[in-house]
Amino acid sequence: MAAETTRSLEALASHAQTVMSVFTKAGYDAVAPAIIQPADVFLDVIGESLRARTYVFTDQDGAELCLRPDITVPTCRLHLERHADPMTPARYCYNGPAFRFQPQGATVAHPREFRQAGIERFGDKSREVAEAETVAIIIKAIEKVGFKDWTLRLGDIGLFSSVLDATGVSPNWKTRLDDAFLRPLSFRDALKSFAVGVRPPSSSIPEQLLSSLRRDDMEASEAAVAVYLEEEAIELIGTRSLADITEHLLIVADERREPPLDARAIEIIERYSGISGPAITAGEKISALIKEAPNSSGFALETYDRRLALLANAGIDLDRVTFSAEFGRTLAYYTGLVFEVNAATLGAKSPIAGGGRYDGLMRAAGSGADVPAVGAAIHSERLLAAMGGKAS
Amino acid sequence: MSKLTLAIPSKGRLMEQTTDMFARAGLVVRKVGHVRGYRGEIEGLPGVDVAYVSSSEIAEALKSGSVHLGITGEDLIRENISDAATRIRFLQKLGFGFADVVVAVPTCWIDVSTVAELEEIAIPFRRKHGRWPRVATKYINQTRRFFGMKGFGDYRIIESAGATEGAPSSGMAELIVDITTTGETLRANGLKILDDGVILKSQANLLATNAAQWTPENEAVCAELVGKLSASIPKKATVR
Repeated sequence: MAAETTRSLEALASHAQTVMSVFTKAGYDAVAPAIIQPADVFLDVIGESLRARTYVFTDQDGAELCLRPDITVPTCRLHLERHADPMTPARYCYNGPAFRFQPQGATVAHPREFRQAGIERFGDKSREVAEAETVAIIIKAIEKVGFKDWTLRLGDIGLFSSVLDATGVSPNWKTRLDDAFLRPLSFRDALKSFAVGVRPPSSSIPEQLLSSLRRDDMEASEAAVAVYLEEEAIELIGTRSLADITEHLLIVADERREPPLDARAIEIIERYSGISGPAITAGEKISALIKEAPNSSGFALETYDRRLALLANAGIDLDRVTFSAEFGRTLAYYTGLVFEVNAATLGAKSPIAGGGRYDGLMRAAGSGADVPAVGAAIHSERLLAAMGGKAS
Repeated sequence: MSKLTLAIPSKGRLMEQTTDMFARAGLVVRKVGHVRGYRGEIEGLPGVDVAYVSSSEIAEALKSGSVHLGITGEDLIRENISDAATRIRFLQKLGFGFADVVVAVPTCWIDVSTVAELEEIAIPFRRKHGRWPRVATKYINQTRRFFGMKGFGDYRIIESAGATEGAPSSGMAELIVDITTTGETLRANGLKILDDGVILKSQANLLATNAAQWTPENEAVCAELVGKLSASIPKKATVR
């Protein structure tokens, strides 16, 4: 991309100042995590998919480093450095560059070098309050910069789990469905195959061996697998041991005994996945759907309703808020609420801000346990573009 | 006026097969000047300059537009040119240089025959070994795209320059992504291909690049070349 003009540089700097002052006034501690990060942490946390979009390089000492592809993971690392107890409540805000390779070529809406101004908050006990405050402050910052014409889209990956509970599916099914939901491309096919059974026959597992395995006798089970490999003249190679293979085969055997997913559960899941629209009506639709489910008594839309009520209290106009059951499925590390702030002029594919809850990220960064975490960032260049390239 | 430049493999089996293919189309490719030189011409097609280039560098030459046309494997194009769909035109499948890019795991993993099952073992593997399963490959981009499409991200890539098939048994990696023609080398190294693990069925292709400068004369000579070649390649030779 061409070098930026002095004017846009000034506009971006002035926006950043405004946004940061909103954050710091609200009690967020301004931090500046390192731009160059150890590649390992990112790759382990976010996986190879983001690696394809991360600038990774080796320094003169042979250490594998990267230009940070976002500022959330660096902030988690900073938090872990500051606090021996990762559950220590903390609020951080930052403004700075992040870098992503754009496979289709860099464009104005998808630059390879962009600024993020954002917040992260850790250790909050009251989940919905932390979530609503995060959304509200991001919107407040965007408005303070001078952009008023936003819309807000919400999703909640955790809600799918609650819907599954209401359908009364078994724990095996729940695990499979939760995993399948995160793969939108194959989700419909997966549901179809689930109507037949949780696990189709495998081309490489002999049925006889599978039925001879017993969870209460690991030793005999391992021996049976060893005998099978020997009979088939298959050499045991690599880092997975006989025990590793046998343990997985036992899970397969359990799942094979599981009866197929019932048609009513499939129907509820399909209808839930299709829910999308104004947040208030979507909530009503989910309620109505759950009433038809066998285990509906335990289900409460409390979280959903409470979050909306808190947003309304914070001055967010709920008429500008939509909810989509499928939103958030493909976003790397979110575990609950996800949200995006959009500008009509840029379209749905280029949100001007986004964030959500990511309770598992701190563990992946080395905390040893999940830590409640909510965060969001404003994409500074897009916000500028949404405002027609002018500073307020 | 600049001639149409065609890059063809400079050595090995691909070079022989390329020369044979031109011969079947009634075109004689020969070197110009010294026999160890890297320039050539096609008898009967005076508008073409031939450049002998190693097959992996042909992808680079097409990417940068330093040649108009090239003959190389689709696997190398997909690997080295991230925006191949817009930059490269696939003019003709040539019916040789067959190779599949595949995901292969140890045959002793009788519990794993699909990518979904690979994903299942990733989490227990990490719990036990403290890291994600490692994939040895030189096809880094295709590996990421393929697993990305399947929604699988719990792995790490180990770049492998050669003898990738040996990585699982030597403990350098848990599984591999590599090319295979008959599967013989994989079997010899105790590996099997996942049921849904064929990433690309590749063969040699005649390719044109939009990155080069094309004159109307270049286009005309190119069309003539494609016409002659395609007429001499039976359709079924390009299908397996």
